[in-house]
This record gives sequence, C-alpha cells and structure tokens, in this order.
Amino acid sequence: MNTQSILESIQDSTLAHWMRDTTAAMPVVEATHVLAAVMLFGTVLIVDLRLLGLRDSPRALTRLSRETLPLTWLAFGIAVITGSLMFSTSAQTYFSNSAFQLKALALFSAGLNMALFQLVTARGPAPRASRIAGLVSILLWAAVILLGRWTGFTKGYDFTIPPGIELAFPG
Amino acid sequence: MRAFAEWLYGTAPSVAIQSTFWFIRLLQATHLLTAGVVSVSGLMLALRALEWQRADQPFEAVWARFAPWLGWGLAVMVSTGIAQTLGDPVRELTSTSYWVKLVLVLGCVGGTLLLARPACRASPATGSSSAAKSIAVALILFWLAIVLLGRMIAYDRAIWGSLSLRT
Repeated sequence: MNTQSILESIQDSTLAHWMRDTTAAMPVVEATHVLAAVMLFGTVLIVDLRLLGLRDSPRALTRLSRETLPLTWLAFGIAVITGSLMFSTSAQTYFSNSAFQLKALALFSAGLNMALFQLVTARGPAPRASRIAGLVSILLWAAVILLGRWTGFTKGYDFTIPPGIELAFPG
Repeated sequence: MRAFAEWLYGTAPSVAIQSTFWFIRLLQATHLLTAGVVSVSGLMLALRALEWQRADQPFEAVWARFAPWLGWGLAVMVSTGIAQTLGDPVRELTSTSYWVKLVLVLGCVGGTLLLARPACRASPATGSSSAAKSIAVALILFWLAIVLLGRMIAYDRAIWGSLSLRT
C-alpha cells in the first residue's frame, strides 16, 4: 500500500464523506480546531514563560506543569481529533500542500522539544537549557498556528498537483 | 449596516489593507495568537474563582499574574480585530457571529472586572462567593464562545441559518 492509496482510502472513508456532506460539520469542526489550538498555545505559554524565568518565578515549575498540563493535553487531544477530521476531507490536497507540510514539521519539532525537555533537561539543574527549551517551544507552537492559518489560505492552489490526480473544477 | 460596510470597503484605509497581500494574513495570525493569551488568561482567573486552579494562592496574586497579559493581549486583539474589520467590512459587519462575539467580549471584560472587586475576591481561607462562582462559569463559557465565533464568521449562514445577517 503506497502513500497515495492510503490518502485515497482516508478521503473515501465514511467520516470523510460525512464531513463533506454535512453542511454544519466543517464550520463546527474547524472552529473547534481553532479553539483547541488557541487554548493549547495559551497554556503552553504559561509553562514556557516560567521556563524563561519571566513571571511566576516563586511557583515551582513541577507544580505549575502539574496544574497546567492537563489543560494542554485536553486541548491537544481535541486539536488532533478535529485536525484529523479536517484532513480526511481532502487528504491528498493537504498532504501535498507546502504550508501543511511545514506545519506538520513544526508540530513534530515541538513534540520532540517537549520530549527532550522531559527526558533530559528537566532532570538536571540546567537553567540555560530550560530557557532555550522554553523559547524554542514558544516559537514552534506559534509557527504551528501561523502555518495552520497559512494552510487555510493556500489550500487548493499553492502546491504541485501530484501525478495521477485529476482536479475537477465546476464550470 | 450593509450600505455602511460597502462604503467602508471603498475608503482609503480599507483599500490599503486589502491591497497588501501579507497584511491580512499577519493580522489574522496575530489575532489568533493573542486570542490564546487573552482567553487562557481570562480562563485562569475564572478557574481560580472556581478554586480549580491555584486555590492555594490569594486571588490578588493570580490577578497580578494574569491581568496584565489579559489587558495588553486584549489591546492587541482589539487593534488587529479593527484592522481586519476595516480590511473586509462587508464580511465582518454582516455576520451574526461577529456581533455576538463583540457582545461577549464586552461581557468578559465586565465580568472579569467584577471578579476583581473586593466583594468577589477569593482567598485560600474563605473561598469564593457563590456570585463569583456564577460569574466565573459564565466567563468560561463566554471565552470559549468568543474563540469559536471568531472562526464561525466565515460560515455565518451555515451556523446561524435564518438568523444570519448575511442575506
């Protein structure tokens, strides 16, 4: 099974058909995706600013993380579900869209940065590394949101049409 | 309203915003990022009033932490919102979501200021009053609705049906 056939099967799935055929589905799912992304950024910012040493300094990082991360994970879960639903409607188009590809890269890098911080930086007294992790995290999550918005603008024309795909435009 | 929006569309500031390729995108992205700062700051204050976040801290400390972010973020959010309205007045001003969102923003500002009043303030010893908790629940719903409605402006008819101002 190659990438194109996987994308085709996603696009032909029952959920994708439901998303495309239900009038209110896309607006509600897209708005919920934006809400989750915005909440994700806001809650991540609280922890990252603490890592940078700005504000909240008397509050222990572990405590701050414990309080805030459940909200971050909730927002992340909703963003993944709604994002997948949106992706399913035009999987081939999104997959080939350069803004979407960059967003996926920024998302992966943000996850990697978070994992590295949890596994390495947070275990030792390395304030400089923590600051760098915080700054990188803010920049990457901001990039995810910017590129997500950019994908909305570019979808449909700012990409090379993959071979074997025919696009039908209404006359 | 539509006539006013169409007149606004032809004014020099509107034309300047429309004709700058990257400016609308930058405005929307900045608006989104500051929406994150503002709504999460507002939510944190409301969650503190409900004693679901930072219940060990007095409300004043949580206010000192989040109110400046809320205030400055709101200033940027309103500025970018006005610029977006100027750039596409017909789309914005003829949308039911847009007007409901504006009312809710005003409600959130008023409600948050009410939470900061001495009568409503929560302390670790006494907790929040029931009035403060009611305001906090309303604020949480309003902040979430504001972000949702912002995106729903693009889909006014699908969301509001016959209640849509976009005829």
